[in-house]
Amino acid sequence: MRNPNHGSKGPTEKPQHFWPTTKRLFKYMGRWIPGVVISIVLGAVSVVLSVNAPKVLGQATTEIYKGVTKGYGEMKAGLHVTSLPINFDKIIQILIVVGLLYGISAIFSMIQQVVMTRISQQVVYRLRRDFKAKMQRVPVSYYDTHSNGDIMSRAINDMDNIAGTLQQSLIQIVTSILTFFGVLYFMLTISWKLTLLALITVPISLVIVGIIAPKSQKLFAKQQASLGKLNDQVEENYAGHTVVRTFNHEQDAIDKFNGQNSEYYKAAWKAQFFSTLMFPMMNFTKNLTYLLVAVVGTLEVASGTVTLGNVQAMLQYTNQLSQPITQIANLSNTIQATIASAERIFAVLDEPEMEDTIQADSKAIDISAKVVFDDVAFSYDKNPLIKDFNLLAPKNDMVAIVGPTGAGKTTIINLLERFYDIQSGNIYLDGKETRNMTREEVRSHFAMVLQETWLFTGSIFDNIKYGNESATEEEVYAAAESAHADGFIRQLPDGYNTILDESASNISQGQRQLITIARAFVANPEILILDEATSSVDTRTESLIQKAMNSLQQNRTSFVVAHRLSTIRNAENIIVVNHGSIVETGNHDNLMKQNGFYADLYNSQFLGNQI
Amino acid sequence: MFKIARKNFAWWAVALAVLFLLLQVSADLYLPTITSDLIDKGIAQNDQSYIWSQGGKMLIVALIGLLAAGGNVYFASTQAMRVGQKLRTQMYSKIINFSSREFTDFGDSSLITRTTNDIVQIQNVLVTMLRMMLQAPIMLIAAGVLAYNREAKLTTVFLVSLPLLAVSVLIIMYFVVPLFKSIQKKTDRINLVFREGLTGVRVIRAFNQDQFEQDRFDVANKDYTATSTKAQTIVSFMFPIMTLILSGTNIGIIWLGGHLIGDMSMQVGNLVAFMTYSTQILMSFMMLSMVFVMVPRAQASGQRINEVLDRESSVKDAQGNDLKSFDQSQPASLEFDHVDFTYRGAENMALQDVNFKATSGQTVAIIGGTGSGKSTMVNLIPRLFNVDHGEIKVNGQNNASVSQNQLHEAISITQQKAVLFKGTIRSNMQYGKSDASDDEIWHALDIAQSKDFIEENGGLDAIVEQNGDNFSGGQRQRLAITRTIIKPASIYVFDDSFSALDFKTDAELRMALKQDENVANAVSVIVAQRVSTVADADLILVMDNGKVVGQGKHQELKANNETYRQIVESQIREGDGQNA
Repeated sequence: MRNPNHGSKGPTEKPQHFWPTTKRLFKYMGRWIPGVVISIVLGAVSVVLSVNAPKVLGQATTEIYKGVTKGYGEMKAGLHVTSLPINFDKIIQILIVVGLLYGISAIFSMIQQVVMTRISQQVVYRLRRDFKAKMQRVPVSYYDTHSNGDIMSRAINDMDNIAGTLQQSLIQIVTSILTFFGVLYFMLTISWKLTLLALITVPISLVIVGIIAPKSQKLFAKQQASLGKLNDQVEENYAGHTVVRTFNHEQDAIDKFNGQNSEYYKAAWKAQFFSTLMFPMMNFTKNLTYLLVAVVGTLEVASGTVTLGNVQAMLQYTNQLSQPITQIANLSNTIQATIASAERIFAVLDEPEMEDTIQADSKAIDISAKVVFDDVAFSYDKNPLIKDFNLLAPKNDMVAIVGPTGAGKTTIINLLERFYDIQSGNIYLDGKETRNMTREEVRSHFAMVLQETWLFTGSIFDNIKYGNESATEEEVYAAAESAHADGFIRQLPDGYNTILDESASNISQGQRQLITIARAFVANPEILILDEATSSVDTRTESLIQKAMNSLQQNRTSFVVAHRLSTIRNAENIIVVNHGSIVETGNHDNLMKQNGFYADLYNSQFLGNQI
Repeated sequence: MFKIARKNFAWWAVALAVLFLLLQVSADLYLPTITSDLIDKGIAQNDQSYIWSQGGKMLIVALIGLLAAGGNVYFASTQAMRVGQKLRTQMYSKIINFSSREFTDFGDSSLITRTTNDIVQIQNVLVTMLRMMLQAPIMLIAAGVLAYNREAKLTTVFLVSLPLLAVSVLIIMYFVVPLFKSIQKKTDRINLVFREGLTGVRVIRAFNQDQFEQDRFDVANKDYTATSTKAQTIVSFMFPIMTLILSGTNIGIIWLGGHLIGDMSMQVGNLVAFMTYSTQILMSFMMLSMVFVMVPRAQASGQRINEVLDRESSVKDAQGNDLKSFDQSQPASLEFDHVDFTYRGAENMALQDVNFKATSGQTVAIIGGTGSGKSTMVNLIPRLFNVDHGEIKVNGQNNASVSQNQLHEAISITQQKAVLFKGTIRSNMQYGKSDASDDEIWHALDIAQSKDFIEENGGLDAIVEQNGDNFSGGQRQRLAITRTIIKPASIYVFDDSFSALDFKTDAELRMALKQDENVANAVSVIVAQRVSTVADADLILVMDNGKVVGQGKHQELKANNETYRQIVESQIREGDGQNA
């Protein structure tokens, strides 16, 4: 169940293509549609039955009243009456009918709710699963062009919207409309005059909804904007907490915060006030209807045109009439927001996926080199990034990629791992064109360690084992040892079973890096990719890792992206990248002799070095 | 949550909100009472003018109801938002004054969520509470009293149905509330797994772990769906059950009422009035149950907020006679006297028996492996954490005996991670010294080798975006250094601040620093990884596993200290030994 203030929360986002998306959502529900239909039918029956009840119940009142009138008549005629001649047999019959109506209605309503709950949960479960599966199938470029925040908001907020609407609103639309017309029908069968009277207030309700809803949406937008600014301040000053404190800026930060806080307060209470005001206003129009029907109804009873039971039924009906109007008004916002959400989710599901491109024309080549780049061209956008790129990486060689930050070093890694596909030329792995292999096959030859140390929430053991799911316990420990991680892991209170939490605040950045290195060890790959892997490890730890790396690099081909040129001096092949293109290639000595870009880069490291 | 409400409500305003609510409920209940009179007197006596006058009375009552409801909404909204505002201020002031220990315990992002989302959650529930949660009991009591006054005997129907209603709501709540609590946890889990899938996409694919990832998500998804289905199913029983009970009440009213009328002990009008009461009671119960579903979430938020508010900063200023101030005539100095420190929950000491002394004009350099305790050591100087044993003396005074404010006045720090604030270059630099003139700022920028890129970027009025995102890592670090040296202090600390600079800039910066008059007379503490950065320090501390395993000058250490030699060797390889 959601916030009872539903509908008036926040500015409603309007969907671009309302009907096509709605249709698609229903199509998506596919095999559950019969369930939805059953549920709607049950809901409808339940409404029809319960709408009937007040009128039938009114008959009992009328029956009582008849007895009363008759009794008073007899009294007037001078008879001594101790009890009024009310026909209780008839009343019992009526009450039994009413009881059945209510009872069956309740049972149907329960079944309907249970069915709809299951359906909505299952639909959203599937939607979430498909969304996640899609995330595995979109190319890496999708992640480079879409922010995580945006994807998360679709996966969470939009999903929630749909779940809520399927669960409640879908049936509510049907029952609200049915209730409205059912009530209207029964009111008409009682008295068209009283019905007309009751309907007078409908336009008033509509006007109220029409005025307050947009106004409160505007106020909510203002509130959200104000909250955003407040949250910015919180984030900034918490993140920079030590700076705030050591520079003695606590009071200053608090003062600024308080200013923004009271701005927010002003916006927030107004938004809350206006949106909530809708409910008393609607209640007032309901009361207005009630009193009109009561007054005119009693006048009619007095003049004998309507029975008392019918007036009682009419009063019950007027209470029921205003509810669906408010509900539908709220629902229209909710539904618009939901369809907009569905649209955003479908937009993701429609993203182009990675294709398995089989290059029939490019034959395998007979060459002993492990990796070959042959006339490769690639660009992320219109500007060509790599052109006529050739590289031969013999088995067990080390290829280093160097260059200033942002020069495009990572691009070569992206191509190797087939995160991106090249636009022309060929990349061969063991003489086989990589685009003739599945991505999984290509990647099974690699293991990599990246600068950002991604670990998932789980035990350290599982995180290391991640590199190779079939690794034995001993292999995991051995890998940790090779990565110099075993020591600190065993010092942790829970050792290998230590759960790394989201921010992994229980271990240091350097230790995280060691774990990712252990993960690469356990993968035991033919080709190793190290992307600035040691930059967050201090030089001493690095030198330890370097030793381990060297032994790991034995009998393996490796690609190393590095900041510190010292780590790659013995690389067989150094690729120097600048401004997105390869400016020099060769080994260290050759490059130094050329006295070009690499030599500059290398020498700049030691200026002012006065060891 | 109720503790929060109790502490922060302005009771007069809450009283007014309740009063208005009472008025509104009474008005709502008074309408059917008038109707009952209409029927009994108006119809029986066929008195048209009576009917119209009662109609007028009803209109007035309805209007009063509207105004009262408006009043209630006003006080409920302002009061709930006011509590939110107050809480936010309390949280923020509390957290800003937390020591780093509390920050590590809670985590930055958790503290942010607690200050933002959790409070919003609370204030939204408070509005609903002040409006709807109170409405049900008030409605119950008022309807009960009114009904009893009208016709005591007929009230017996309510005596049966209301407890039944209450019990069924309670039973449902008993099952649902824990479920909703666990749903909250499962939602967090699903979000976590999903987010990790996004941040780790390259690693996941590189290791061909798509299926593992998909399975991991599916477990969380299934788990969530199962619990959510269970909870929603139970909730969905609530509405039909409540309707059923109230329908039974109506039947009871007619049955019992009919007999009472038959015995001539009651008039017909009451039937109509009683049935309207029951509908209104039903409505308020529905609202109540909706609020109940919101409560567990708010409860969790309330708990998280209280955890912060109840937490005392572990670093407190000395009180009374123990509070000292710096002796201004003393020259700058820094001394660690047998300092021990252990992080909470950690098995091993982060620092063990650290001992050294430096005086005015000296540079202390700290070097060592990851996790060897370098940053911990510098964080203890401004007392971001309390030491466990021993003491740290700043300018000859124990750093725990002066106020934190005065202590921080004497120390200027650049952290490992450079933090800039949204604003301009000038506002960021004046963070170090609020009345710094443009000349002073330019001078400091020059020392920190930042003059060139600031000139290129539009001078001191250049915009700094949130987190300084529009500057590169190296630039941010140099700006942070500038801010540090603008501040006049006795001790300057540079915690691994030079690592993002290339060797050339690093050397030039350190050279310039020595010329600066602020820094020249102070003690400088430099944490570094490069031997080249520390080589010319007056005192080098070599850290390993929380212990100082060597201290002295470069040449001595190189000759006598095994750990230091290892570090040097690992780096000399870089320079081919040519400069050593």
